This record gives sequence, C-alpha cells and structure tokens, in this order.
Amino acid sequence: MPATGNDAITSTTDREIVIQRVFDAPRALVFEAFTDPRHIGEWWGPNGFTVTTRSIDVRPGGSWRFVMHGPDGTDYPNSIEYGEVVRPERIAWAHGTGDGGPPLFHASVTFEDQGGKTLVTLRSVFPTAAIRDRTVKESGAIEGGKQTLARLAQYLANKT
Amino acid sequence: MTPDRLSATFAALADPTRRGILARLASGEASVNEIAEPFDISLPAVSRHLKVLADAGLIERSREAQWRPCKLKADPLKDVADWVEHYRRFWEESFDRLDMYLRQLQKKEKKNARHRK
Repeated sequence: MPATGNDAITSTTDREIVIQRVFDAPRALVFEAFTDPRHIGEWWGPNGFTVTTRSIDVRPGGSWRFVMHGPDGTDYPNSIEYGEVVRPERIAWAHGTGDGGPPLFHASVTFEDQGGKTLVTLRSVFPTAAIRDRTVKESGAIEGGKQTLARLAQYLANKT
Repeated sequence: MTPDRLSATFAALADPTRRGILARLASGEASVNEIAEPFDISLPAVSRHLKVLADAGLIERSREAQWRPCKLKADPLKDVADWVEHYRRFWEESFDRLDMYLRQLQKKEKKNARHRK
C-alpha cells in the first residue's frame, strides 16, 4: 500500500481531529524521525516550508523551539512542550508560539508496528480561533509551483 | 459574532442531541415540537439545545411564522470544514515529506551497510 495520499482523517465532532498514515519504515526509525534533532526539522511542515531549530530537548518537560519559514518569507515562531515521550510508542505535546502564552493546542502521536511498517496516529484536541488563523495562514500560502517541485524532488529521490 | 466562532461551533457540535437536531434540520425547517419528537427529552431541554445552536449561528429561528420554525445555517459548518481541510493539508504534506525522508534515510542505511561489508 503506498503511503502517499492515503491519510485517513476523522474529524470527530467533539474537539478531536485524528490523522493516520502508514509509513514503510520500522517503528524505531519513525519514532527517531519525530524525536531526533537531526531529523525532525527535515520534514516538519507543509511543502515549501523550512524549519530552523533554536533549541530542542525531547523528554517529558523538555521543549522544541523552532521557527517555520514560509515560502513567502514569513517566519512563524513555534514552541512544542513535551508532556510524554515513551520510546518508541508515544509522544504527547502542547503546541504554542513560544511567547509565554497558553498552548494553542494539544496533540499526541502513537507509533504502532505493523509487520515492519509503522502506523502513525496523530490526535489533536481542537484549537482556538488563534491557531486556526495561524494554520490557515501557514498552509494557505503554499499552492501552485511548490507542489510541483515537491513532486519532482520525490521523484528524483526515488530514482537515486 | 463572537471573536472565536470556530470554538463556539465545535462546542455546539460536541453534543449528540444537537448533532441529531442539525441532521433533522438538514432535511428542512421544523418546529420545536417536530424537532423534539424523536428525542427522549423534555421540550425545555430541546429549547436549551436550540439556544446553544442559535448562539453558535448554526440555526436560525424564524420570527415571522407563528410556529417559529428552525432552519439550518451552513456558514459556521463551512468554517469548521475549511479549518479541518487546512489542518489536514498541513499534516498530509508533512507526512508526505516524512515519507520521502524515511525512504532516503533507509536508502542511506542500506548503502552504508554495503560499504561496511
């Protein structure tokens, strides 16, 4: 089963949004991609975004402070405070802007082994209007040519 | 309009009775009595649910007809659908990139394993 484009999404009408994806990689590696400073900034965010990590400490009570750079040059400061880090099964975090305000929303990610592949389940508790607006801004700016470049990059990566 | 209409909409949708009421109204306007009929709750309880839905802008109560029918209003539901769509896209694209990244990592690992042999 190809992983691309087959996310299952359920938006439960009470406060939770669930997104799932099966990755063709062992659970330990997928968990590492979510928690290792060398990896996490390499894929986080929509097409066309890059990430600069200011500091990262992935353990309960630790945090990841980073800036997301949008394709139009806009910077979005982000802060993730880790509540749970259970290798290699589960992470839970509170996601905010790092300005000392309350977290904008809470998320948990679980990693399940499926015969060498890994099922990732992301659950988010519904956001306030503030994160809704931010998310809309961050993903609204990414249409068009960026998608094509991403597809080309993926094509080349699979060829090498 | 409250500044956080999306939260109000989500909160209004969090109750199964209110979702049932919206489903009923999706097939056309109805009076409070008609709305209450399939539910095993009192009329005042139904009225309270209707008030939450009206405050969230999800329904409208006509002031013209004497039986004051309730009508579904689609705009807030569209806001929710739009937000979920943006959020879904954020993570779908992140997961696409993660998928590609994991493939590259595993290719590198294989190559390194071959070099070590």
